[in-house]
Amino acid sequence: MKSMKWIVNNRLNTIYILIAAFLILLPFVYESRNMLILLTQIFVFAILAMSYDLLLGFTGIVSFGHAMFFGIGAYSIGIFMKRFEPTMLHFIYAVGATILITAIVSFIVGLLTLRLKSHFYAMLTMALAGLFLVLAEKWRTLTFGNDGFTFRVPEVFIDRTNFYLICLAAMIATFMILKRFTNSPLGRVLQAIRENEQRTESLGYQVLHYKIAASVVSGVLAGIAGIFYAMSLRYVNTSVFAMDITLDALLMTIIGGVGTLVGAIIGAGLIEFAHDGLTELAKEHWIFERWIIFFGIIYILVVIFFPLGIVGTLKNFTWRRKKQHPVKKKENLAG
Amino acid sequence: MELLFNLTLNGLATGMLIFLLAAGLTLIFGLMDVLNFAHGGLFAWGAYSGIWIYSTTGSFIIGILGAILTGFLLGIITEKWIIKPVYGNHVQQILITLGLMLVLSEMLKVIWGPNQLSANPPDYLQGSWEIGGMIIIKYRVFIIFVGFLVFAGVQYLLKNTKIGLVVRAGVMNKEMVQALGINIKKVFMFVFMIGSGMAALGGVLFGPYSGVIHAGMGMEFAILAFIVVVIGGMGNFTGSVMAAILVGLSGSFMAYYVPELSLAVNMLLMAVVLIVKPQGLFGGKG
Repeated sequence: MKSMKWIVNNRLNTIYILIAAFLILLPFVYESRNMLILLTQIFVFAILAMSYDLLLGFTGIVSFGHAMFFGIGAYSIGIFMKRFEPTMLHFIYAVGATILITAIVSFIVGLLTLRLKSHFYAMLTMALAGLFLVLAEKWRTLTFGNDGFTFRVPEVFIDRTNFYLICLAAMIATFMILKRFTNSPLGRVLQAIRENEQRTESLGYQVLHYKIAASVVSGVLAGIAGIFYAMSLRYVNTSVFAMDITLDALLMTIIGGVGTLVGAIIGAGLIEFAHDGLTELAKEHWIFERWIIFFGIIYILVVIFFPLGIVGTLKNFTWRRKKQHPVKKKENLAG
Repeated sequence: MELLFNLTLNGLATGMLIFLLAAGLTLIFGLMDVLNFAHGGLFAWGAYSGIWIYSTTGSFIIGILGAILTGFLLGIITEKWIIKPVYGNHVQQILITLGLMLVLSEMLKVIWGPNQLSANPPDYLQGSWEIGGMIIIKYRVFIIFVGFLVFAGVQYLLKNTKIGLVVRAGVMNKEMVQALGINIKKVFMFVFMIGSGMAALGGVLFGPYSGVIHAGMGMEFAILAFIVVVIGGMGNFTGSVMAAILVGLSGSFMAYYVPELSLAVNMLLMAVVLIVKPQGLFGGKG
């Protein structure tokens, strides 16, 4: 049994490595600026979606304000690069500032709401994200309000191919870190909390501490995604705090499959490609300008009929077919 | 003095609008344990449909009635097809109502276009009265009046009718009510419908109050309503009216004196309530 599992895992790892190698080689073989930019965008959003998955899929916490952490990252890098020389040193400062601020904010939010019902975290994060959006609009001396501002980036990040590879590396690193994190004893406790909070508590775990830890890790990673996002555009404005970002992360995670990490990456790819395709279609018919409707409807249908998402459903299917494990319907979304 | 009076009036009017939204939210939560993130969407739908009917028929009253009807209908559809399939699963409920919010506000843009619509009060509510040198804008008084009317009506319904009794009992203990042979599902539907109707009413009243309506306003008001629901206590109807007035007043005063901080103060208030008394300032079920 154990060796079987190892072989399956090994095969999966081979697939991952092959895909990673393909993505690394892609910019040298296939020269398309648009494709490169699109893929970079996918990597950035995959980081965001994975950080979201840690909350929703592994701990069972719903956040409606993930854009807040994303925006903090985006504005930190923007402000540092604008105010000071765009050097590597200031880039590192910006990363440090992002980690510090997102950690503090997510810690406070977690401390305030995670001991209460799951609604409170969703509500407070949503309201706080709204507050940050207003703050970014009003604090004009620092953020230039709604118009936002452009900035220069350190030399390493200027070349599109370089930046593509850096984002890819960041995504792979995030994936591996989160894989390790969720398989660690701490990650196991988080999954236990998702499955049954009362039981985990009665086993003697300080549930609140674990949930706050998940909240902080997720917030920091979302902030890092924000840094790369702003750098890919070399421009930042208040839209990074908008609800749309949170919704994108949510859609990617749900459609790809909660609690799988790979699902978040696949979801990010799907949604970004769909964005791109629907923007093209919008020239044909105006209804495609309102593409959010399609996503919204798909999203509702997925939540009702396929709560496990693409990867989760596939996994369930292969398990059932191989009959290696007793069939256990994983209630990943159970509250 | 005049300034203070006007700010108070303004705050009360805003408070009443938030109350119309928050009351439904809190009742639905208390009874069904569902936090309806699509409630703001119903608010915006009330505004758009009501203002549209008002501008085509020319009668504000018909507009209001149309908005309430739209709210009822959307409430029934939401409860039946969106909330019921995932009943009992908190995380799925939260996720699905947000998806609905998305679809609702995008539908507005499809039907009425992405630009904001303008709305004016009808002739008989335009202008202002002047009493002892103080200028009182008629429409604000009208909103406050309607708000109190709705509050009194729902309060009467809750305290003096059979269905109200069932609702109050349901908020305390659903299982017990069901065990006594009452079909609580029907009561859910009824409460959801009333709550949606109130949200839609709030929306249509808001139209002429601000002068313009846009699809994003549902979200803005929903955030205020969440703050109110937390401050007033989840599931506490009387708490929600007090908290709504509190939030409305603090919003209007802060918007005048320190406009940058108006949302921040309410958020701070919510944070303090969450730390000190998560069951809400006005007691009740947590």
